[in-house]
Amino acid sequence: MAWIVKNSAEMTIERREEPYLDDQMKKELEAEVLPRFPTRQAATLPVLHAIQEKHNWLPYQALEETADFLGLKPSDVLDTATFYEEFFLQPKGRYLIQVCQSISCELRNHDALLEGISRKLGIQPGQTTTDGKFTLMTVECLGSCGTAPCALVQGRLHEDVRFEDFEKALDSLPHEDGRPDTPASERA
Amino acid sequence: MALQEPVLTQRIPTPPFGDPADRKLIRHEQYVASGGYAALRKAMEHEPKEIIETVKISELRGRGGAGFPAGLKWSFLPPQDGEPRYLAINADESEPGTFKDRLLIDFDPHLLLEGIAICMHACQLDTAYIYIRGEYHHQAKVLEQAIAEAYDNKIFGPGTIMGKVNDRDPRCFVHRGAGAYICGEETGLLESLEGKRGWPRIKPPFPAVAGAFGRPTIINNVETLAAVVPIIMRGPDWFKSMGVKRPEGAPPTAPASYGPKLYGVSGHVNRPGVYEEELGIRLGDLIENYCGGMLNGKKFKAAVPGGISMGVLGTDQYDAVLDFEVGRKYACLGLGTAGVIVMDEDTDMVAMARNIARFFSHESCGQCTPCREGSGWIYKTLCRIEQGDGTTRDLDMLLELAGSMGAMPGTTICGLADGTNWAVRTILNKFWDEFESRVAKSSSVALPVLTH
Ligand SMILES: Cc1cc2nc3c(=O)[nH]c(=O)nc-3n(C[C@H](O)[C@H](O)[C@H](O)COP(=O)(O)O)c2cc1C
Ligand code: SF4
Ligand code: FES
Repeated sequence: MAWIVKNSAEMTIERREEPYLDDQMKKELEAEVLPRFPTRQAATLPVLHAIQEKHNWLPYQALEETADFLGLKPSDVLDTATFYEEFFLQPKGRYLIQVCQSISCELRNHDALLEGISRKLGIQPGQTTTDGKFTLMTVECLGSCGTAPCALVQGRLHEDVRFEDFEKALDSLPHEDGRPDTPASERA
Repeated sequence: MALQEPVLTQRIPTPPFGDPADRKLIRHEQYVASGGYAALRKAMEHEPKEIIETVKISELRGRGGAGFPAGLKWSFLPPQDGEPRYLAINADESEPGTFKDRLLIDFDPHLLLEGIAICMHACQLDTAYIYIRGEYHHQAKVLEQAIAEAYDNKIFGPGTIMGKVNDRDPRCFVHRGAGAYICGEETGLLESLEGKRGWPRIKPPFPAVAGAFGRPTIINNVETLAAVVPIIMRGPDWFKSMGVKRPEGAPPTAPASYGPKLYGVSGHVNRPGVYEEELGIRLGDLIENYCGGMLNGKKFKAAVPGGISMGVLGTDQYDAVLDFEVGRKYACLGLGTAGVIVMDEDTDMVAMARNIARFFSHESCGQCTPCREGSGWIYKTLCRIEQGDGTTRDLDMLLELAGSMGAMPGTTICGLADGTNWAVRTILNKFWDEFESRVAKSSSVALPVLTH
């Protein structure tokens, strides 16, 4: 629901010294991505994807840095970023589980899958486990309706999922995956 | 009538011609070895105008949902004026029930790239953006790799077999969306490409005149562009030997349904999947001959013909012919993406309607009041009916609400609201008794509404 506006009047922006969009990334984006478009604004989605890929979410400071880099107002970047469901303006778990809830998956019993995951992790869709390992979300059609029910785990598609198999896949995920840790204080 | 040989799935083993277990990604080398990029070379021997004419004669209609004739769209472009011109490939594929473009990208990405290159030549478009939905992580990587191969092999970039296109080196990029169904709507897509919220634009101007970055832009679906390749290779007559002809006596402007089509079948069938057939296969044949019949031998109850925006076919429409006329003949919106969702006798249609309404309510971009508010209202009402608290008045209200929203009644900017409209109305109308018996059993007492 991209049109729900969040109250930002009392919000304070947490800042850190080190930039999220660092010089190396800027250099690469400048060389690889910006020449693709006649405007700098068009690189907004690719830049946000790149930051989120590296930091796992998009802190407000990162949005400001993006605006600065692309010659935009921070509000332009916020406007865009809040529209898209895949951009996380709050920290999420190390592994994002997105379970499809659209019609073909409902017809093929996605309930059992979702319930199973929810019970196993002790969280509802939209929540993150206390150890910061998993965030569970329900999403609309993943374009895999022929192999319903299905779910994405950190971008990897699992098709024709039975909960027992899925559970094993989740158990086999290492807690450390090489990404910089999200400080406990920043977790949702 | 049955497809004689695989066309779009030539290199993607698909029953009855091949076994899906044998599918593998076709790299550039294998693509060329099996006749790939010959159509592009052939196209380069012809003037751009001639290619547009060929596509026009083939009467290829868009495979992305609206069924607009591709050649006609291409001919709307204004003359070149020295400035850039764009091609946006719609790989957003987010309509529930639709997973056909993914098959092409997963296994035969160069077929799409060849179609793109031919379109760029025909329309003199110098830059192509493949707008792919964010959730297609793997597919974006496959395309990146295929594009890199295409640059290495002089399909795109400087000094290619296309030479200069619109006086520039032809370029092609992948552009990833970030989870918003509305970015599949062509002008929402353009806004998103420009780095903004995917808010559909008011038309006119149409994208062919003022599209991406205010410049002439063609937007086509993945499957549409893939279909251009065999048309160039084998000619429009061959293409028109497949599909459903114009009815006897109809004027030449009446749309026909020619060529092969990818049908993605999901839901209660034994072998769901993407199958290629001539346009105009009977729904029952698709289920029985391709999908191994209904799951667990249950009876057929309903089917969505082509993505949930199109509404449903009722229990007595098992014999519906799935071509571009399906809407007119069987009281639904149309063929859409040909993403067929099959439902068996045990399916709760109230629950289905609720699921679909939630999708549209969730994906509404919020610009138009009837769509934003109407879809939420419909969703909540359906939840209430499902829980057993509905009233007969709710049913009338649902019909009235749904009927009032959409670009066709003229109350909204884009077609998303028409999808809500048709989905809700057709389910309600075709399964009225089921809804009525649900509200009849309802425990709630209708209270007069004092304020709202
Ligand atoms: C709400 C909405 C969503 C759409 N989503 C898609 C999509 O995901 N993929 C697609 O190809 N077309 C989609 N379309 C249709 C496009 O607007 C457009 O008609 C199509 O991409 C044109 O290509 P074609 O003529 O080759 O079919 C959508 C339309 C609407 C109204
Ligand atoms: S009809 Fe709905 S989705 Fe389309 S522009 Fe209006 S509010 Fe947005
Ligand atoms: S409905 Fe779940 S993947 Fe399409």
